[in-house]
This record gives sequence, structure tokens and C-alpha cells, in this order.
Amino acid sequence: MRAGLRTTVFVIASLAVAGMLLNRVAAPAWSAAREKQPALKLDSSMTAAGQGVTLALLGGFRALVADAAWMRMFARWEARDLPGVETLIHVVSAIDPRPAYFWMNGARIVAYDLPVWRIEAAGGFEAVTKPVQERIRREQAQQALRHIEAAMAFHPASADLWIERGSIELNKLGDLAAAAESFRRAWEQPHAPFYAARLHGELLRRQGKKTEALAWLIQLHPLQPPDPEEPKADVVLARIRALERDLGVPPARAFQPAR
Amino acid sequence: MNTVPFSLRRALLIAQNTLLEAARQKLLLFFLLLALGLVVGARWLRDFSFGAPELKFLADCGFGAMAFFGAALAIAATAQLFFSEIENRTALTLLAKPVWRAEFILGKFLGVVAVAAFFCALLTLLLMAVLRWREGELMREFPEAFAQGGVVSYGMVALGGLLQWLKLAVLVALSLLVASFAQTQLFTIVTGFFVFVICHLQYLAQDAYTRAGSWFAQNVGGGLASVFPNFQLFALADSLNAADAPPTAHVVRVALYAAGYCAVACALAVYCFRKREI
Repeated sequence: MRAGLRTTVFVIASLAVAGMLLNRVAAPAWSAAREKQPALKLDSSMTAAGQGVTLALLGGFRALVADAAWMRMFARWEARDLPGVETLIHVVSAIDPRPAYFWMNGARIVAYDLPVWRIEAAGGFEAVTKPVQERIRREQAQQALRHIEAAMAFHPASADLWIERGSIELNKLGDLAAAAESFRRAWEQPHAPFYAARLHGELLRRQGKKTEALAWLIQLHPLQPPDPEEPKADVVLARIRALERDLGVPPARAFQPAR
Repeated sequence: MNTVPFSLRRALLIAQNTLLEAARQKLLLFFLLLALGLVVGARWLRDFSFGAPELKFLADCGFGAMAFFGAALAIAATAQLFFSEIENRTALTLLAKPVWRAEFILGKFLGVVAVAAFFCALLTLLLMAVLRWREGELMREFPEAFAQGGVVSYGMVALGGLLQWLKLAVLVALSLLVASFAQTQLFTIVTGFFVFVICHLQYLAQDAYTRAGSWFAQNVGGGLASVFPNFQLFALADSLNAADAPPTAHVVRVALYAAGYCAVACALAVYCFRKREI
């Protein structure tokens, strides 16, 4: 018995000492891996633990299992099963957080479909009062924004997620300032679509910040890509001219495009 | 007491015998067929892929099969091939001859690692073939999407296969360590799977204890992270894009890390096995 205990202690101690030395050997590779994979440096231990278990048990099968769970979610969506859909949206993102597709479409369902289902379940649009409808919309929008917030831990440089966030803030919360900021953040991400920057300018204008909007559009104009459908159209210039008119900018001080 | 010097040749003979024994068993064939079926079948599962690009989905399925069935094979084959020698009393006959127990353990380790190498190499080649085939089809179907040429880096696929094999080699060494003192095959298999999961999660324990802030907690976390190797390290090549390739120095470091754990676990398995009554 005592010999067994001695052997066990010796084995564990030897592994610990060897591990300490070997961890130093692998430290640069591990730091680089953590930098590249956001899931390995999540702030939330619970989320990270879930990810670790999923990765350990499913490995590369995560994609397949997540797809199967997403199809199951669609079946629940057709049946308008609100708790089932909500649960499966979270399950899919937990199983495989890598595709932004699951996060974005999950957030859309939460923000756009679930409020309608909740209102209908409460008696329909005729029976439910406007303030209650508004409260439900806000609750669902906030929930969708939390979902996108969680997605950003895994996709810190995704322009699509910032655009989705801006859309929900704009369409569901009517928060022009927050939406404008989200579209600006989207534009800062790599491979961001140009319309994100244009929407930021437009939302500045709608907030009454016309001077800021004009300055934004002027610095944006040289970056405008040609519209494949209407190559001669210059949407940004048209908006600049409209703002100049609104602000009473004299023709001599009006913006002169370089091209 | 051994009167003959340690012989690598005898260890290699035991490894060769272990490999032949593994080839005769249905276990290898079973896992191999399951994994091969999945890699080839992934081509028809692509319609169910929503989130990931198709070629990445295929690669995920391939590496998933390699990791999952590879781990099952590494643990089960180690336990089966080790305990079959003891249960059939062939270990007694073998060790009655001038054969070191260290040679026996090393031979078993090399034999199962060779099985794992065969498994990973076959699956990696098949995965490359499936990816090449599908990439070719997609290039013909959507030439504009492949204006810059192919998108799959086959070097990354090969590196992914190599890293999976290194991980399996460490798992084999740890399973052998458990088998060297375990009384039953079942105990070895169950413990092997627990070790596999713990090794994937150990970095979290270290993080949690580090955040706790206390000196004691940090040392407990550090100890855990030292005893169990970090299997997340072997996921360096989780991409099909050559631009995401890890630096060679990092790959060498991970290989040294795996070799170090294999050496230590095998040495400890020898230590435990020398004390064991057969």
C-alpha cells in the first residue's frame, strides 16, 4: 500500500517536473495559437469550458453536429416553438462558434421573428397594446444584441457582425447614435462593405449632425468603389451636395471631387 | 536482473510484432473503415453544411474522424495489445528470456505509434484526395471564384495530419503509463478517455487558477497544467489557408513537446512495470 502510494507520488511529481520544462518549450507556440484562436482566450470561463469540452469530445465533428442542430432549429422555427428555437440557437453557437453565419442568423431570428411570435402568443397585434408590443420588441432586440456581443468574442474583426448590430439598433431600437457608431466600427474592420461607411454618414445626418456628416462623406468620397450596376452614379457626391445645400455652403467652398 | 545490455533491436522486434498483432485484430480495421467512410461520405454531407465553406467543412470532417477515431484507436489498441500479452501469458514467456521490461514497453509504444501513424497517414492522403477532387469540381463550376488559383493548402492538410499523429503518440504513451499499473483493460480504456478530455481542458484550469490570484491556487493550476499535456497545442493547423501556417519553429517546438511527454510517460511506464507482478 505504502509502496503504491510512493509510486503514485513519484509518477505525478515526475510528470509535473517534466511538464514544467516542456511547457517552456511550447510556450511561444501556445501564445501564438491563443492569439490566433479567440476561443482559446475567452474571458468567460464558462464559455471557454463549454468550448473546451466540445472541442475535446467532438473535434472537427463540431461542424457536422452544429449543422444538424441548426436543421433541428429550423424544424422548431417552422413549428413556431419559441423556447426550442431560442435554446437551439444558443446550442448551435456553443457547439461551433467559428461560422459567423450561425451567430448572425440566430440574432436575426431573435430580433425579428421572436417578437412577432410573442405578440401573437399574447393575443395578436390587435389585442396587445402598443406599449407592450414595444417592450417585447426591445427585450428581443436586447437579447439579440447580447448574442452578437458573444459572437464578437469569437469574431473580433467581423464587419458583418457590426453591421448586424447596427441594423438591429436602427430597425428595432430606433437608436440612431448607437447604430451610427456600429456602422462606423463595421467600416473599420477588414473587408468591410462600403455601404457601412455610407450608412454611418446617413445616420449622422438623420441625427441632425449635418456638419459631421458632411466631413465624413467628404473624406469617404475618394474611397467610393464604382457601382457595378450604375458605374456613373456618384451616390456619395449627391449626398454631399444635398448636405452642402442644407448647410448653406457657398459654391466657392463646395467640395470639389478629385476625379 | 537483466544480464544483457539494453537492445533497441529487441524493442523494434517487439514493435514489429505489436504492429502485426494490431493488423490482425478487427479493432484497427473497424476504426479505419469508420473513419474512411466518414471522410469519403463527407462529400455527400455537404448539403447539410450551413456555417462553414464547403472545403473547410470537408476538412473538418476529415480531421474530426482522425481525432475522434484516432483517439479511440490509440487508447483501445494500447490497452488491448498490452493486456493481451499479460492475459495470454506471452508476456511471461517473453520476459523470462533476456528481454528488458523497458524493451517491452518501448516496443509496445513504438508498435502502437506505428499503427497511429498508418491511420493518420491513410486518412490524411484520403482527405487530400477528397479535397483535391472537390476543389477541382468547384474550380470548373465557379472559375471566377478561383481566379487566384486553388484555395486549399495541401501542406496545411499534411501538417494537420502530422500534428494529429503527434497528439495520438502522446496519448499512446499516457495510456501505456496507465496500463503499466492498471489491473484491467477496462480501467485503462476509461482512464485513457478521461486523460484525453482532461488534456484538452487543462489550459482552462490553469487560467481559472491564475485568475483566482492566490499563490496556492496558481501553484495548483500550474501543477495540473504540468502533469497533463495541453492537447489544444496540436490544433495549430486549423485552417486550409497557407497564410495561416504556423512558423516552422513553432511546429518544431510542438514536436519537441510531444516527444518530451512521450519519453517521460514511457520512462514512468517502465518504472511502474518493473514493480509490477505479472
